[in-house]
Amino acid sequence: MTPGGEPGESVVTVDGVSFSYEGGFEALVGVSMRVRRGEYIAIAGGNGSGKTTLAKHINGLLHPSVGRVTTCGMRTDETSVANLARKVGYVFQNPDHQLFCTTVEEEVRFGLENMDFEESESAPKAQAAMELVDIVALRDRPPFTLSLGDRRKVTIASVLAAEPEILVLDEPTTGLDHHDSEHLMSTLRALNRSGRTIVLISHDMRLVAEHVDRAVLMAAGRILVDADVGAVFSDLELLREAKLVAPPITQVAHRLAPLGVSPSTFTPSQLVQQIEVLRGGGG
Amino acid sequence: MASGSSGEQGGKEPTGGAGFVSPKTVALYGVLTALTAAITFVTFVPFAPTKGYFNMGDSMVFFSAFAFGWRAGAICGGVGSAAADVLLGSGYFAPYTLVAKGSEGLVAGLIDRSGNGKRWIRIIAISVGGACMVATYFLSELYLLDVGWGAAIAEVPGNIIQVIVGGTVGSLLAWYVRKAYPTRSRA
Amino acid sequence: MTRFDDLYTEADTFLHRLDPRVKIFSVLLLSLLAFVLSHLLSLILLLSFIFLLLLLARARYSKTLFALKFVLRFMALIAVLWPIFDPSGTPVLARLGPVTITEPAIWRGITSAVRVGCLATVWYILMFTTSQRDLVRALVKLGLRFDFGLTLAIALRFFPAFGSVMESIIDAQRARGMEFEKGGVLTRSRRYVAVLGPAIVTALRTADTLSLALESRAYGARKDRTYLRDLRMSGGDYVALSIAIALLVVPAVARFAFEVPI
Repeated sequence: MTPGGEPGESVVTVDGVSFSYEGGFEALVGVSMRVRRGEYIAIAGGNGSGKTTLAKHINGLLHPSVGRVTTCGMRTDETSVANLARKVGYVFQNPDHQLFCTTVEEEVRFGLENMDFEESESAPKAQAAMELVDIVALRDRPPFTLSLGDRRKVTIASVLAAEPEILVLDEPTTGLDHHDSEHLMSTLRALNRSGRTIVLISHDMRLVAEHVDRAVLMAAGRILVDADVGAVFSDLELLREAKLVAPPITQVAHRLAPLGVSPSTFTPSQLVQQIEVLRGGGG
Repeated sequence: MASGSSGEQGGKEPTGGAGFVSPKTVALYGVLTALTAAITFVTFVPFAPTKGYFNMGDSMVFFSAFAFGWRAGAICGGVGSAAADVLLGSGYFAPYTLVAKGSEGLVAGLIDRSGNGKRWIRIIAISVGGACMVATYFLSELYLLDVGWGAAIAEVPGNIIQVIVGGTVGSLLAWYVRKAYPTRSRA
Repeated sequence: MTRFDDLYTEADTFLHRLDPRVKIFSVLLLSLLAFVLSHLLSLILLLSFIFLLLLLARARYSKTLFALKFVLRFMALIAVLWPIFDPSGTPVLARLGPVTITEPAIWRGITSAVRVGCLATVWYILMFTTSQRDLVRALVKLGLRFDFGLTLAIALRFFPAFGSVMESIIDAQRARGMEFEKGGVLTRSRRYVAVLGPAIVTALRTADTLSLALESRAYGARKDRTYLRDLRMSGGDYVALSIAIALLVVPAVARFAFEVPI
């Protein structure tokens, strides 16, 4: 199930894209960015920043009014969404907006049926996808009766079954408690380690800081910054402009800066480590 | 409290005249009506070269009738579809739609009730209910709106296809919702 | 989601201030007037009058255009198809096999199309200038049972939300490779279930929460529900209603009693 291709090569290229919704609302203004194979990135921003609009350009659900988007070598405005779906798995925010089958397994196989896979091919693919997110035990249950965390996993399995190269997830931890949320994030990390490119859409900075390698911060349809998370979180001014709040740990680190703590600290273990070093140095 | 929750027993109040229907029914009918209107609206706008082109609204009419009975079919189907007409800017069609889709849901629901889920009864229910819809549109366009034979006939084939697809999908949905969302039993 | 915008546009024109009941009656009266008038010219006059009112109501250009889109198609359909099915009258302009095209039939088709145009646009006056809340309140005042009125209010309240839900579901299924245009009736039906199924379950969940909310807010505690702001007819409302009645009655009497061809 490991996708082929060179790591580091660009799989999504967004080039000077502007987009307006019917009625004239300008959701994206001159956006350019790229995603490389094997990356784990976040598109982050407040409500109405354009992050979901940008993500929907990756699999062709939206076409740019100006500019172009190329995904896995295909121009999105010249390729059908169904075709791009083989390359890009898009997990929507609300699982209830896509689950409709009477069993989990059927749900996971729905995408494969759409892509005309034979029964003999789709069964093992579905099995593998269910194993990846650990829902094999739920295969015969009706999806609607599952917990939100499990429903979300079913939606992830349902797009993973088609073995996409890129996985896009829109606010995947909404409504999950801390435990389920951490479990989901470690599943995503494992998927990324096995070679999948992951694009996370989120406004939750703690999540972004702790799990993602690179962050694209958006505000009012523009990209404010596109950099490693360390660099992004050292600039509180920038975060304020994006209507985002730095993770608590980073805020503490900023206040402790006079004592010698680095302001680009964004996980508890990093902070503890630095304090230990400082204490060790002092005594 | 005694008079506050008027619908403990659910469904229609037995008292005639001023008795209100239960909050459960108000919520269910309101939401189904909204969904019928929204589905008609959304599936109408992107394609639709003429009025009467296929939309999924009929699926909701049949679904409401088969899953929640003839009252739901008549009210949610009729009012929801008519509301979609108004919101789409075709308000002059709303009275005819109210009767056409309302009777479709009412008749299909009533016939289906006697069938205990037998397939051939349901097919009759869809056919007769659908015939009410097609006939209402045809006759009201011809005699009440006076649009002429051409425009009135032009709508008939599309409407018949809507009945066939809408009836099939509506039945599938009724079966599906009972399986996928079992807490909601037949009203 | 601009597409699910209400047709209503906030403004402070005399049409906005008019009692919604008067507007409902006036729209009905003007609709009847469209049937009383049989001449193309008088119907065009009525259509112009309706557009004048829309102008005075400061109807927004984009909304009018959106609403007109569907009506114009239907009008074109009537005007084109009428002469093909109506062979009566002379002079005959063309004969193509069994089809006879005559000049009066062409005019009759255009007349009917303009009448449908009047019937459609006269509704915009009501819809563009009356909020949904006022509309429901007027219907209840006119005798609609309060619980039915509430059902209607709930329906209007949730319509835009469900519209967005529908779009989101369609997007989600397309992202899983579903194509609407492909396959026969049976595979298509399954696809419709893939879209309508989640929508219905979402709606039923909403209904469950909503009925709890209704109960907890003492719905049905009194049969004669009172309103904070009651509807009351003012002098201007009576004047407007009288004008609307006159607009129907005068031409109706002229045509049916004195047989004036209008």
